[in-house]
Amino acid sequence: MAATRAGPRAREIFTSLEYGPVPESHACALAWLDTQDRCLGHYVNGKWLKPEHRNSVPCQDPITGENLASCLQAQAEDVAAAVEAARMAFKGWSAHPGVVRAQHLTRLAEVIQKHQRLLWTLESLVTGRAVREVRDGDVQLAQQLLHYHAIQASTQEEALAGWEPMGVIGLILPPTFSFLEMMWRICPALAVGCTVVALVPPASPAPLLLAQLAGELGPFPGILNVLSGPASLVPILASQPGIRKVAFCGAPEEGRALRRSLAGECAELGLALGTESLLLLTDTADVDSAVEGVVDAAWSDRGPGGLRLLIQESVWDEAMRRLQERMGRLRSGRGLDGAVDMGARGAAACDLVQRFVREAQSQGAQAGDVPSERPFYPPTLVSNLPPASPCAQVEVPWPVVVASPFRTAKEALLVANGTPRGGSASVWSERLGQALELGYGLQVGTVWINAHGLRDPSVPTGGCKESGCSWHGGPDGLYEYLRPSGTPARLSCLSKNLNYDTFGLAVPSTLPAGPEIGPSPAPPYGLFVGGRFQAPGARSSRPIRDSSGNLHGYVAEGGAKDIRGAVEAAHQAFPGWAGQSPGARAALLWALAAALERRKSTLASRLERQGAELKAAEAEVELSARRLRAWGARVQAQGHTLQVAGLRGPVLRLREPLGVLAVVCPDEWPLLAFVSLLAPALAYGNTVVMVPSAACPLLALEVCQDMATVFPAGLANVVTGDRDHLTRCLALHQDVQAMWYFGSAQGSQFVEWASAGNLKPVWASRGCPRAWDQEAEGAGPELGLRVARTKALWLPMGD
Amino acid sequence: MSAHNRGTELDLSWISKIQVNHPAVLRRAEQIQARRTVKKEWQAAWLLKAVTFIDLTTLSGDDTSSNIQRLCYKAKYPIREDLLKALNMHDKGITTAAVCVYPARVCDAVKALKAAGCNIPVASVAAGFPAGQTHLKTRLEEIRLAVEDGATEIDVVINRSLVLTGQWEALYDEIRQFRKACGEAHLKTILATGELGTLTNVYKASMIAMMAGSDFIKTSTGKETVNATFPVAIVMLRAIRDFFWKTGNKEELGDEWLKPELFRIGASTLLSDIERQIYHHVTGRYAAYHDLPMS
Repeated sequence: MAATRAGPRAREIFTSLEYGPVPESHACALAWLDTQDRCLGHYVNGKWLKPEHRNSVPCQDPITGENLASCLQAQAEDVAAAVEAARMAFKGWSAHPGVVRAQHLTRLAEVIQKHQRLLWTLESLVTGRAVREVRDGDVQLAQQLLHYHAIQASTQEEALAGWEPMGVIGLILPPTFSFLEMMWRICPALAVGCTVVALVPPASPAPLLLAQLAGELGPFPGILNVLSGPASLVPILASQPGIRKVAFCGAPEEGRALRRSLAGECAELGLALGTESLLLLTDTADVDSAVEGVVDAAWSDRGPGGLRLLIQESVWDEAMRRLQERMGRLRSGRGLDGAVDMGARGAAACDLVQRFVREAQSQGAQAGDVPSERPFYPPTLVSNLPPASPCAQVEVPWPVVVASPFRTAKEALLVANGTPRGGSASVWSERLGQALELGYGLQVGTVWINAHGLRDPSVPTGGCKESGCSWHGGPDGLYEYLRPSGTPARLSCLSKNLNYDTFGLAVPSTLPAGPEIGPSPAPPYGLFVGGRFQAPGARSSRPIRDSSGNLHGYVAEGGAKDIRGAVEAAHQAFPGWAGQSPGARAALLWALAAALERRKSTLASRLERQGAELKAAEAEVELSARRLRAWGARVQAQGHTLQVAGLRGPVLRLREPLGVLAVVCPDEWPLLAFVSLLAPALAYGNTVVMVPSAACPLLALEVCQDMATVFPAGLANVVTGDRDHLTRCLALHQDVQAMWYFGSAQGSQFVEWASAGNLKPVWASRGCPRAWDQEAEGAGPELGLRVARTKALWLPMGD
Repeated sequence: MSAHNRGTELDLSWISKIQVNHPAVLRRAEQIQARRTVKKEWQAAWLLKAVTFIDLTTLSGDDTSSNIQRLCYKAKYPIREDLLKALNMHDKGITTAAVCVYPARVCDAVKALKAAGCNIPVASVAAGFPAGQTHLKTRLEEIRLAVEDGATEIDVVINRSLVLTGQWEALYDEIRQFRKACGEAHLKTILATGELGTLTNVYKASMIAMMAGSDFIKTSTGKETVNATFPVAIVMLRAIRDFFWKTGNKEELGDEWLKPELFRIGASTLLSDIERQIYHHVTGRYAAYHDLPMS
C-alpha cells in the first residue's frame, strides 16, 4: 500500500459533520497582477496607460485586507486621451460590415473561454463575491452575451436598417458591481458599431483584464477603453466632446445629479439606477420555493441589492418560519471558497447595511442583532417596519430583506407599485390567473413568475420610474446605442445663463388685440380638458395672428392649475384606455381620421390663413388622417415572445404604455405635427396632455371638437397658453410619466434638467426642426420606440 | 434502534393546499449540487459517514446464500481495515446501516450476519415489491412472513394507483395495515417517486406515509425508469420537516438528522465508489478494481 497522507481531523469531522474550506486557487490572478508589477493603470487604445504623477489607490482583498495592487487614478487628460482613442477607433469600427464586428466579438468570447479561470478568480478575489456565482454564472453569461450580440451584429444591415451607431459611448459603473454589468452594456454598443470608454471605480481589475483581452485581439485596439478613477471624473467624462451617449449605472441620487448636469449637453443619457428588487409571495405559492427565491434575490451573491418582500397575511407565519430556518443555514465566508453562499463586499457595504438596520430598529422594526464583526455581514430579515417610517421609503441595501404583509392581490399591487422604484420583481403563485394579473399589473421592468433573478442575453432588462429607463439585452439593448440614420447629429444646446428657477415662471400678460375677423364659424374657445372645453383658471386669453399679421382668434391662457387638472383627467382616463385592446384603440383612431376628413375644408381654410397653399393644406389634412390610421394598424403587432435557453416556457416581451405623456408640439406643421404625435401616443395606450403649436393652436382645437365626440373623456387633453410656462409646469410635474418637447434649445435644456425630479424619459428636439411630412421623421420607428416601455415577463413552465 | 413513528390521525388539510413548483425545485436542485462541496479530510469523513447510512442491497433474481453471505461480510467491513486505520477511524465500528434483500433471502442474511457476529439489521423488501400490484392480503402476509424470518426493517412499496387517483384515505389505511403487520420491525415506505407523476404527488404521498406511521420514507425501488433524483429528495425532505413541525417536534432537518437511525441511502454500487474515493484520499492514488474487496 502506498504511503499515507491523511490528516488527523477526519475523526472529529465524522462526528461533527462540519463543512471545511474549499479554497479555489487564485495563483493565476496574482500572477496576472505580477505581470503589471502590481500596479494597474488604464487600458486605452490597446495599450496599458500608466501616466506619471497620479494618485494611486490600493486594491485590497476585502476579507484579509491584504494589498493586492495599487491602481492609478485617472485625471481629466487621461479621460480626454481615452475619448480621443475611442473616437478614432469609431471611424474604422463602425464602417466595417456587421459580420466583421460579429467575428471580432466571437473571438473575444473564445478568448474569455480560454482564460476564464483567471477572470473568475480575479473577480472573486477583488470583489469578495462567492466564486461559484462568478464562475458558473457571470463568466458563462458573459460569453453568451458576446455570442448573442455577435449574431445581432451580423444581421444588423437587414434587421436594423434605418439606424446607425451613435458614436463613442461613455459608460459609468458603480463602486460595487460585477464585471458582468459592464458586459451587458459594452456588448450591444460594440455590436452595433459604437466604441466605448468605461469609467470604472478605483480598484476594479476585472474590467481592465477584459479590456486587455479585447485589445490584444488585434485589429481594433481602441474600441474598448477602460479607465479607473474617482466619482469626480463622472461629469468630466460625460461632458467630454465626442461622447455621444452616457450610460450610467449607479445610485439614484447620483443619476439624478448627472441628469441635471447633462441638461443641454451634447451627450444623451441612459440611466440604470438602484439595486432593490421585489418579491410577492401569495398564499397559493410553493412557499419553500419562494424562500429559495428570496435566497436567490438577496442572500446568494447573485443579486446586487436588497429585497422588499411582500407576504400574504394568511401564509405570513409559515413563510417567516421557513425564511428564518433557511437563513440559519446560509454560510458566509471567503468568496474564493467553493462552499459559501455569501462572500463579503467590503467595509462600505457593511457600513451601509449596518446603518439601515439600526435605523429600522429605532423606527420600530424587528431585525435581530446587528453584528459588529467584519468583514462579513450575515443575511438579515427585517419585519414589522412601519410602512410610514423613513426606512420603508429608502432603498433596501444588500443583504437585507424587508418583509411586510398584504391581504389581497389588489392590495399587493398597490403596495408594490407605491414606490418610486421600478426595477425587477417576482411573483410567486401557483394560480395562473392571479400570477398573470400581478405580473401585468406591476410597474417594473422585469417580472419573473415563480422564479427570481433569471437573466438571458436575448431578454431585455431594464426598469421604469426612478430606476431609470435604459435597457440592456435583447432588441431594446441595441436601440440604446442607435439613432435613426440621416438625422442631424445631436449638438450641445447648453446655454450657460439659463436660469432654471425663473424659466417660464411668469406669463407675460396679454391684452385684447381687437375683435376677431375672418370666416365663420368662430374657432372653438377654451382648454380641452376631461373631454370638454373649459375656461382657463386665469380667465384670460391670448391673441393668435395669421400669416399676414391679422388677428385670427383668441385662445385660452392656460396655467399651472389647468395643467394640474389636465394631468388628473389624463390619469383618470388612463386605466380604462390602457386596458382596451389594440383593436379597440385602433377603431377610435380610425373614427377620428374619418372625422378629420369630414372637417377637411374647415381645417384646410384655417391652414390657408396660416400661409399654406390650398393644395398643401389639403395634403396636410389627408396625411394627418393617414397617420391616425397607420398607427392604429401598427399597434396591432406590438410585443412578442422570446425563447430562452435553459428555460422551458416563454418570456413575453410586452410593450406597455408609459402612462400620462406630456407633449409640447412644434410651432411648424400645426395640424400634422399635432396629429403625428397624438396618434402613436394614443395607439399604444397612453393618455396625453398636449400643448399645441404656439403659432397656431387653432388647428389642434378644431381636432379637439372631434375628439370630444369620438374619444372617452380625458384621453387627450389640450392646453393652450404660454409655451414656456406650460412646459415648465409639465416638466416639473412628478406624475407625468414621460415628456416630449419640440421647441427651442433653451426649453429643451430646461425640460432635460427638470426631468430629474421623477426621472421621466424625455425627448427634446433642441431647436432642430423636423420634417413631419416625411415618413421617417414624422412616423418612423423612433416614435414607436419612445412611445411605450418594455416589460419582460418570464413564465417558466413545468409540472 | 430508535423508537417508532407512531403516526397521526389522517388529516387531509395537511396536504390539501400544498403546491410544489416543479421548475423552481429543479433550479434548487441544481444549486444544491453547486453550492456545497467538501474536500480533503472533510470529504473523507463525510464519505465514511455516508457509508453508515447505506442499506447495502442486493435484489436480483439470481441471489443465493453465497452472495448474500458475501454481502453481509461487506456490510460488516465496508472499508478496508488499513484505510480506516490510516484515517484513525478503525475503532469507530463503521458498518453499513442495514443489509437489504428479498423476503426469501432474509433467513440467509440473518444467518450470515449472526455468523459474522454483528447486529446489523436485515431489511426485507415486501408488499409486492417492486410494483405493488398484488392483492392487499398477500402483501400483508409477505410482511408478516419476512418479520417471522427475522427481518427488523421492512421496505414496503406503496400502491401507486391510489396516489394517481387521489385516494389518500385508502393509501393511509393500507400503510396503517402495513404498520400493524410489521409489529416491532421498522416500516420503510418506498414511494416509487418516478411513477407518481408530479412533485406535488410526491409531497402528498410522503405526508400520508408519515401520518400512517412510516419510520422511513424512501424515494424509489431502483426498478423504475426514474429513481432517486435531487428534486424528489428535496421535496421529500421538505415534507419530513413539515411533518415534524406539525407534530410538534422541535427538530429540524439539519445535521441532527444525519444519523443512521433517521437517514438512509439505498444502494448497491455506491459503497465501492466511496471506498475508492477513500483509497485515493489516503494514498493519493487511484485504486485498481482488484485493490478493494468485492461485495
